[in-house]
Amino acid sequence: MAQTTLPASQVKRPVFSGLGKWVGVLPFFLFAILFLILPSMRLFVGSFTDDHGQFTLNNVIQIFTQSSILRAYVLSIEISAVTALGGGIIGFLLAYSVTVGGLPKPLRSILVTFSGVASNFAGVPLAFAFIATLGRTGFISVLFKNLFHWNIYDHGFNLYGFVGLSLTYMYFQFPLMVLIMAPALDGLKREWREAAENLGANNMQYWLRVAMPILLPSLLGSIILLFGNAFGAYATAYALTGGALPIITIQIGAQIRGDVLHNPGLGYAMAMGMVFIMTISLAGYSWLQGRTERWLR
Amino acid sequence: MSEELPYGWLQFARNRFKRQQKPRGEKRKTPVWSWVWYILGVLYFVLPLLATFEFSLRMKRGVYSLAAYKAAFADPAFLQAFGYSLTLAAITIIVSIILVVPTAYWIRLKLPQARRPVELITLLPFVIPAIILVFGLIRIYSSPIRLPFSSVVLIDALTTSRYGTIILIVAGYMVLGLPYMYRSVDTGMRTVDVRTLTEAAQSLGANWFNIMVRVILPNIRTALLSGALLTFAIVVGEVVLASYLGVPAFGPYLFLLGQHRAFEPAALTFITFLLTWAAMGIIQLVSGGQGQVSGAH
Amino acid sequence: MAYLTLSNISKQFAGTFAVQDFDLDVQQGEFVSFLGPSGCGKTTTLRMIAGFEVPSTGKVTIDGADITNKAPNQRNVGMVFQAYALFPNMTVAQNIGFGLKLRKEPPAAIKERVAEMLTLIHLEQKGNSYPYQLSGGQQQRVALARALAIRPIVLLLDEPLSALDAKIRVSLRAEIRAIQRKLGITAIYVTHDQEEALSISDRIVVMLEGKIEQVGTPFEIYNFPQTTFVASFVGTLNTTAAEVVDPAKGLLQIDGVQLQTAENLEGNVKGDKVTIAIRPERFNFLATEKKANVLDCKIENITFLGSVVRIQVLVGSNRFYMDTFNNPFLELPKIGDKDQVTCSREAVLVLKS
Repeated sequence: MAQTTLPASQVKRPVFSGLGKWVGVLPFFLFAILFLILPSMRLFVGSFTDDHGQFTLNNVIQIFTQSSILRAYVLSIEISAVTALGGGIIGFLLAYSVTVGGLPKPLRSILVTFSGVASNFAGVPLAFAFIATLGRTGFISVLFKNLFHWNIYDHGFNLYGFVGLSLTYMYFQFPLMVLIMAPALDGLKREWREAAENLGANNMQYWLRVAMPILLPSLLGSIILLFGNAFGAYATAYALTGGALPIITIQIGAQIRGDVLHNPGLGYAMAMGMVFIMTISLAGYSWLQGRTERWLR
Repeated sequence: MSEELPYGWLQFARNRFKRQQKPRGEKRKTPVWSWVWYILGVLYFVLPLLATFEFSLRMKRGVYSLAAYKAAFADPAFLQAFGYSLTLAAITIIVSIILVVPTAYWIRLKLPQARRPVELITLLPFVIPAIILVFGLIRIYSSPIRLPFSSVVLIDALTTSRYGTIILIVAGYMVLGLPYMYRSVDTGMRTVDVRTLTEAAQSLGANWFNIMVRVILPNIRTALLSGALLTFAIVVGEVVLASYLGVPAFGPYLFLLGQHRAFEPAALTFITFLLTWAAMGIIQLVSGGQGQVSGAH
Repeated sequence: MAYLTLSNISKQFAGTFAVQDFDLDVQQGEFVSFLGPSGCGKTTTLRMIAGFEVPSTGKVTIDGADITNKAPNQRNVGMVFQAYALFPNMTVAQNIGFGLKLRKEPPAAIKERVAEMLTLIHLEQKGNSYPYQLSGGQQQRVALARALAIRPIVLLLDEPLSALDAKIRVSLRAEIRAIQRKLGITAIYVTHDQEEALSISDRIVVMLEGKIEQVGTPFEIYNFPQTTFVASFVGTLNTTAAEVVDPAKGLLQIDGVQLQTAENLEGNVKGDKVTIAIRPERFNFLATEKKANVLDCKIENITFLGSVVRIQVLVGSNRFYMDTFNNPFLELPKIGDKDQVTCSREAVLVLKS
């Protein structure tokens, strides 16, 4: 049978080729546009709009000048930084103990499962759990009162303040750190340690010169992720403090419920400020991730 | 930047407290510090749960009983709220799967160029915290969407109608769960190598429907289960969107309960914990791996 | 006096012996390979010399000093790992200089030594590259340089080439041997590839299931294997059962056909069953040359392997392989032909066990 070629115009093209291929992802993009991008744009545009619909930079400027708003940001950043560092360090130590630290394997799966649970437990239930633990009639408070005759509230402890909220946040920060760092610690090849020993390094030298530098990008990246995580938290804080602690998410929440600032644009600007900070965190995290992956190819 | 941290002072400290190099025995000595950190970690995780459980048993004065649990379950509003959230979760999961699976599949098979934009989109819910998403969604959909510069109405104000509200909340939940659902499905497809499976099925004569239903879906079962369970956890625990939209979901119910009652919320919190543990346990079993997090709320 | 001695070394893991009754003397500057299949204990033994495993019994001595219980970071033996194990956070130069830095050598001396090593492995331009930027072969050379930079008293290599492509393996193993010779350093090389071991070693230690099967030069191991395992593991081998006919004359018979061997059969009596082995390349066709043993055979298959042509023949009920050099002008028999092959008396090996 002789082979013939058809002229291009008669070749049957597959239905989905060239630009047509994008049809398949249309529903997804439509969904994203409607429910993700549009709302974000609304906030973005709104932050530059004043009461009369005109363009203005006043809202943005006000964020930096109005002391209550500035304080809210600072407070949020403080809590996030504290819980990121604290959660980071302790989470790392926990991850270390079940990987390099040599605890038996079953303990590791227990920790990992539980970390999954704890990090998903955030929000209203977490707040209630901590109230039951450290509230005025909470388990620990009562324990201290009965055992040591020590009322922690008389000594300045307050669950519904900075310290209490930080402690509560830690409950989902540790697990997040564990879940990220455990695989990273697994990635520390045994041969690196042996090569270092073989070349004359002792334990300390190995950790300082080989292991920590290799882990540093992961560690830093995770802490940044933890920061972002705490920064955006709302429900936990609200359920715990009832809005008493004026972190930025609570302020925005108040704004949604009713225009307490008497300037909707300001609310949008505050939201945008948050998004900006979160974007920087995420960018920092992915840059560090990229570096780690590049090294460990 | 030098890749090693300065360790001169450590050197100094070591020389001060120099001890003999111990003769090499077998390496496995008891990892004392690992145990210490692990036990501390476990304590921190378990205490709040213990406290909640203990508190939930205290309803009948002076004696431990399950009265709080009975009362909580007896409340008709509880069943209503929980059932409502359950239904919403089911709808969200199903619509998510219908949206995400074909999209991920299409990208893998035909349109790898779309991978980057889609992954960026799935990253957005991390950058834009839930509270802000809610802010945007509510602002946009509380008034009708018109064609620009005209009075033609494209979409009516969703928040004013019952069906509109349901659409809005399901969409909101989908957005919140999108990163996990998409990543889970995408990873599952990559592990199973859907491209080769599809080609094998095609060579045996299967059409698209058969391929999707008989080949692809069964093989990403575990990924779907993980994504579904996480979405479930998110939906049931979600408070912000539900309360701002005024839907009778479980989150607002629990929160409200906490304002008026003491013991029932503790009981329900404990139940929530058990449920979350079950969900995470199943995910661990099924995926045999690291466990997933859904971060702070 | 031997430079490196392992005496009565054994290693037990949870009841089973990974290594048993291991005795070896290595002279200074010798290149010794440990050869054997996976799980034979060769890597475990190497790791005992390095200090990563502690022997259950026995001792390890280097240059007269007993190092059995010394910590691995105190032994000054250089080790090259199978997976290179280069530190990813350091450049090539920093990797190579790491050992020297730990020994607190002055920076100028380190720089000089690193440059020296880079020249030795022919990677002078790569000093500032990171491991992930190098190919597998290059990474392994850096690993070698890193181990040599500290002037180790013994060099240990744990299957350093198994992760590399075939072609690189051949060129790199020659390079390793050349460097070892140049530096005169004592080296222990672990491998499961018999061609590798044969081509670069001064002596080979063949191991099986934790024990030494035979120690000898490549020549000895190949041509005079002492056990069936050694004979079959190293090179291809034809083996079959035979019966002793006349011990004094070295006569055996297989399937009624008589064979003469040059081996000493004094310990046997007529009727004993033994195993004999003949290397494929020791056969040739009767037409080419006549040797002491002549066997009738039938040609079953002819495989062209490049420089070698492998012919499968049936002698009685025994299937033998015969290797002959490829010669384009040589007329080979056809499949199904009947022919005659010969081999010398020395070619017939009698194996113990």
